[in-house]
Parts: sequence; structure tokens; C-alpha cells
Amino acid sequence: MIESKIVKLHKMLEEKEISCKELTQRYIDALQKDNAQLNAYVTTTPEAALEAADKVDEKIAKGEKIDILEGIPMTLKDNISTDGIRTTCCSKILEDYVPIYDATVWKILKSQNAVLLGKTNMDEFAMGSSCENSYFGGAKNPHNIEHVAGGSSGGVASAVGGNIAVYGLGSDTGGSIRQPASFCGIVGMKPTYGAISRYGLIAYASSFDQIGPITTSVEDAAIVYDVISKYDKMDSTSQGRKGAPVCDTLKNDIKGMKIGLAREYLDGVRDDVRQSVEQAAEIYKSLGAEIVYFDLPALKYALPVYYILACAEASSNLGRYDGIRYGYKAESYRDVNDMIKKTRSTGFGDEVKKRILLGTYVLSSGYYDAYYKKAQNLRGTIVNSFKNAFKVCDVILAPTVPMTAFENGHAVSDPVETYLTDICTVPVNIAGLPGISVPCGYNANGMPIGMQLIGNTFEEAKILNAAWQYENAANIYKSSDFGVKL
Amino acid sequence: MVSKEEIMKVAILSKLFVADDEIDSLTKDMGEIIAFADTINNAADEGTDFDNINNLSNVLREDEVVASYDREKILANAKDSDEGCFLVKNIMK
Repeated sequence: MIESKIVKLHKMLEEKEISCKELTQRYIDALQKDNAQLNAYVTTTPEAALEAADKVDEKIAKGEKIDILEGIPMTLKDNISTDGIRTTCCSKILEDYVPIYDATVWKILKSQNAVLLGKTNMDEFAMGSSCENSYFGGAKNPHNIEHVAGGSSGGVASAVGGNIAVYGLGSDTGGSIRQPASFCGIVGMKPTYGAISRYGLIAYASSFDQIGPITTSVEDAAIVYDVISKYDKMDSTSQGRKGAPVCDTLKNDIKGMKIGLAREYLDGVRDDVRQSVEQAAEIYKSLGAEIVYFDLPALKYALPVYYILACAEASSNLGRYDGIRYGYKAESYRDVNDMIKKTRSTGFGDEVKKRILLGTYVLSSGYYDAYYKKAQNLRGTIVNSFKNAFKVCDVILAPTVPMTAFENGHAVSDPVETYLTDICTVPVNIAGLPGISVPCGYNANGMPIGMQLIGNTFEEAKILNAAWQYENAANIYKSSDFGVKL
Repeated sequence: MVSKEEIMKVAILSKLFVADDEIDSLTKDMGEIIAFADTINNAADEGTDFDNINNLSNVLREDEVVASYDREKILANAKDSDEGCFLVKNIMK
């Protein structure tokens, strides 16, 4: 059984085996030592962390009850706004931007005295699959620092996998939580679109973006999800969690649960990955679940649909960076237009500029119908094919990524091939579904392999239940050598 | 196939400069990405309507006056400000 770090630490704090200050200091020390190798954090906040820890210790000393996430050292991806703490999206254009308000998720956690250790690395504006598009250089994989942590939430995955944060929040637009979690051998969940408030999450593609937890165990992901899945009037697409807390049903047995396997998800994935996923299906059978096979032909269009629509939304969302109100501003220029162009051309990295250009292209006159409108129609087709799939199964089992973490600098110079790494993760974002990545094996070089469980809308409880049962039976998670040993 | 001219036109719409030494490699990359995007045109158009995700509907509420952020705090992130305003070069003579 993979133990819940949050439950363990919560008990240790309550039973005064360790003070919150000592716990926090251990994480700060480990972070200061290991971050030089992992490059997981781009900003650290030790004073604020210790201040929060003091508040928790005061409560414990007075005999007050503490909430489950109270005093637990954690991190946030650097696109989640934090009042008074630099939030850069790992872009030159926001290098010195300090938000004046908190994202709702951070507001919730802060109100529970969560101990924020710092802000973590990511591909610039969450655009990438290796974290190497970061203005601050990429985060490294804690299982082998010659390999990438994945992306775009590579810093959170590197910090959690490297035990220099107990848990973290990332964002997932096309796989940016699940893919780095898979690469780093840990758990990452992208909730249903609307389950978690996006207020204060710096936008990439608003109809795809969703915040979610990255943790070392399924139980930790469930605990964090229950706390942050609240309706928020500041986000017009917010709905909050539907139904009872997911922790209530996490450990239920799964006899008779129908686990779906679609051939299209296994096409073209590497042998070691496919074998691990097939072994997971066998474990599900032994737990009394039923494996059902079906086709999802619409999936073959998922990747181009995703890139067309996400880049279209990005080109509009990133229009706000003009050097006037915040962020980097070009030093010399002729007039306002020249200033905006110079600011954007110098402030954005190459991948971001490429996606803005692609998005502008597919929205421009003469191309709108052939690309944007057609992709939007196909989005509807993909949504419907998932709806049909969930008539025959409860959850879908698939690989998270077709391969394991690649070596640093190898994130393939071929732009289309790089995009193919997202092939198993983007369908979930297109259809707004919840998906979770759970470790399911290691390749010959010891690099982690992840599998994905996909559920129908607002059925996080089902995928977490299936994930917990698998994790408990398979016992795959191995800690890396970095960070705090509990 | 996309042409250099199309890339330059899109760059103007995007308010981005493309340097002379970047245009060839960018046109090649964009050409590959757009050829990849073109694969959707092989799909039968089922005419599926899609207007939003997860059947969202408009959220309406009464308009209420609430406190906003402090002007000085907002301006603190701007590189240039003057007399409580963002400062830009004049756009009209």
C-alpha cells in the first residue's frame, strides 16, 4: 500500500511528534540543497512558509483542531497568481510581475494555513511537454536528472517527485499535469472542466485549462481535490464538485466496475508502455473489474483539433501582453505600436510566438472556416464519442504518454513530433473530462511509466476509486533519492 | 503550403516582428504544423454543434457595487505611470 503523506504528516502534527516549524524547516533545507540539481523552483518563499508554520503551531499548542492540509508544505505552478509573490509563467514578459490578488485555489489553501515553499518551474505560458521552454531553464527528472521532468507543470512534478514539496497544484491544458506526473513516477489529476476555479490562473486556452493536484499517492490527490473543488462566483465556468467528497468512496471495492480499453489509445505507443498498461488491465481483472473493448475512431483527429483550438484561444488570451500595464517593456521604440511589437517579440519565447502565429492564422479571414470552425465541429464529435463510450464502461484505461521521459535537450527539434507526445492526454481536455495519471511501471532504464484513467464528467470519485485500488494492488511507486525522507 | 508573405501578414496581426534571419525556418515550421492541422479536413463533417464545454449556461447576477483594487497597487506593476495613469507615448498629434 502506498501511504498518504498528507495523512501521515497531519497525524504527526496533531500528535506533536514534529512541530510544523521543524517540518517546514526540513523541507526548506532539502529544497535549498536539491533545487540546484532539480531546478524545480523558480521562486522560494521560506519566510512566508515559516510564518504560516508558526500559526499552525500556535493552534496546535492551544489544542485547536487543524484542517487536513493545514501546515503541509506545498508548492504552486508559477502561473497561479499569488498576492505579493512574483508570478512569472516562466516568461521574460512576466519576469518581475507581482500579482495584487490570489487565485481562488490559493485563497482556499491559504485560509487553511497551507505552507507555500515557493513557485515552481513550467514551460513558458504552459506551452510545452518538457519544461525546457521555461525562461529559467527546464526542471529535471528526480529519477534521473539527465532526463526532463516533462511539461508543462514540470517544476511541480520535479518538486513532488523529488520530495521537496508534499504536494503541488499544476494546470493542465493538453496534459500538463498528467504528462509530467507520468514522467516523474507520481500521481497527477486533471479534474472535470469547471470543477476547480480558474480565477487567478494565468490563461493559456480558457476552454481547456484546469487546475489540479500533483501528489505521490492517489489518496493525497483525493484529499487535495476535495478541499479545492468549490464553486466560485469569480469564474463564470465554475461548477464545483458534484456529489459527496471523493475521499468517502476512495477505498470501495471495484467488483463489477467496467474498465474500457480503446484500441486507438494503444496504437503507436512504445512497447514497454503498452505492456505496463496491459498488465494493469490484468490487475483490474484480478480485482473483479470487467475489461470491455471499444473503438474511439474520433481520437485520430484529437491532436490537430487541440492544437488549432488551443492556439486560437492562446492568440487571443496573450493579446493582453503589451508592456503597458505590467511585465516587460521594450527599452527603446518609435511609437506605441512599435513598443508593443518590440515588447512581445523580445518578451515571448519561440514556442509561444509560434503558437500565437498559428492561432492567429486559423482565426484569420479566409482560414476560419477550414480550421477553427471545422475543429470546433470535430470537438463536438469527440465529445459525443466519449459520451457513447461511457454507455459501455465506467472508466477508460489508457497510457498517459506514448513514451517515458526523454533526455534533456532531446525534446525533438521536429515541431510536429514534439506535439505527438500529447496524443493520449489531449482528448480529455477537448471533452472536458477528468483524467488521472498513476505510476504503472518502469522501463529498462528505470524511468517511470504512467497510466491514465479517464472518467465521465464530474465522476472524479470513480477514477480515484479505480486508481486507488490499482495503486494498492500493484504497489508501483518508488521514491526518488532526493529530498525529505519521512 | 504557407508562404513567407502569409507568415508576415499573420505576424502583423499578432503584433510580432519576424526577423529576416528567422523567416525561413519559421515558414518551414509553420508549414509543417499547418500541414498537420490540415489532416482534420479528411474527417467527415458530422455537423456536430459545439458551443461550449459541459453544457454551461450564462451565469447572471444582480449588479452590485463592490470595492476594487487600490490604484497605486495596480500601477506598481507598470513600467511607466504618471498622475495615477498608465503612461504611453502619444498616439495622436
